[in-house]
Amino acid sequence: MIADVREAFQLVLAGVLGRDVEVSEPVLLAGGASKEAWAVDADGEPLLVRRAAVGVIHRHTLSLEDEYAVLEAAYEAGVKVPRPYAYVPDLAGREAFVMERLRGETIGRRIVQRPELAAARSALPVQLAGELAKIHAIPAARVPFLEKAGFDRIVEELDAVGEPHPAIELGLWWLRENRPPPRPVVLAHGDYRIGNVMVDEAGLVGVLDWEFAHLDDPVRDLAFGLVRAWRFGIDDRRLGGIGEVEPYLERYNELTGFDVRPEELDYWELAGNVGWAIGCLTQAHRHLSGQDRSVELAILGRLGAEVEYEICHLLETVARP
Amino acid sequence: MSERPTAQELAEAIQEFLAGEILPTLGDHRLRFRMLVALNALGIVYRELAKLPPEDEAEERALATQIRAGDVPPGTLERVRAGVEARLRIASPRYLERYD
Repeated sequence: MIADVREAFQLVLAGVLGRDVEVSEPVLLAGGASKEAWAVDADGEPLLVRRAAVGVIHRHTLSLEDEYAVLEAAYEAGVKVPRPYAYVPDLAGREAFVMERLRGETIGRRIVQRPELAAARSALPVQLAGELAKIHAIPAARVPFLEKAGFDRIVEELDAVGEPHPAIELGLWWLRENRPPPRPVVLAHGDYRIGNVMVDEAGLVGVLDWEFAHLDDPVRDLAFGLVRAWRFGIDDRRLGGIGEVEPYLERYNELTGFDVRPEELDYWELAGNVGWAIGCLTQAHRHLSGQDRSVELAILGRLGAEVEYEICHLLETVARP
Repeated sequence: MSERPTAQELAEAIQEFLAGEILPTLGDHRLRFRMLVALNALGIVYRELAKLPPEDEAEERALATQIRAGDVPPGTLERVRAGVEARLRIASPRYLERYD
């Protein structure tokens, strides 16, 4: 922990804003093993500071410096994101970046259920498609440090875990056998779903959590929000528990001209489930290996069976192997 | 069937959470006492689980290896799903109702 938190923030934020500022007592909102999030006001301006934590940053996530650069590129492209202020190489000994602190709801369960967000839910499918189309139009040359991701990466992660999971293998087998023609890669958000967007009564306020950004087939990004785990219990609303897929797909196609077919979305929805099933195992192994001890991570090793069941369900209904 | 974390590893995670994060926040001495008793009980569960033989995962491993090699005869999906369902009945039985 920092000896005098407020003083450290005061110093850095004065530099960022280029003037003397009155800084509120910073509040630690989330203290993960790899990254912290601090809420702080500078002259009444609400800011959010992301700062590296002590733990190891887990594989395939961006450094704070790269995440900041992606956020900047998105902001310049007109994507609804918190306004980026600055990357700070040293905030009391660790790297950090400063951005605007938006107001709204990010908790998935509330977004899919709260009565006062009903109008937001109607607006979200078209809004989500609009922001994603803007993200996918950002020239890859703007973010040259990003890497391409493919199935090799998740198979590698599965093998690193070392446990037998026949349902995941069957999903991977079907994905290999039925791959649609590849599309040119775009800047992909990498985790585009309810839970990683901020929402208010009118709908989408901002796209958050850019640490999984990479270059990929655009439809993988488009379909990730359909994964059942991200419907937060409202299973019959296939788009993130908030709405139907059709208006979302139609709007996305209208804006990008990509002409994504529903079958392609089905394919990448299955891929999203396979990816998240492996994600559950790797999260549990962060606990089991001692890298990041947490009962929340541990239980994902068991709850991954839910995702594997969904893989079986999709293989039966969509894929019929 | 192989499952990680094992029941013992889960008991250990709960123990660390209760002793490390909850116990220090308890001001009421009666609650503190009962928490210590609960942690002792959890310790019994942990040690008893340690005596169980490890579960046999040979069949699951053989099936996973076979599918990885591209050998997927008819009936594979049913076989795979039965295994997942058995694990879910332990890990999250109510989840299955969502497919009714």
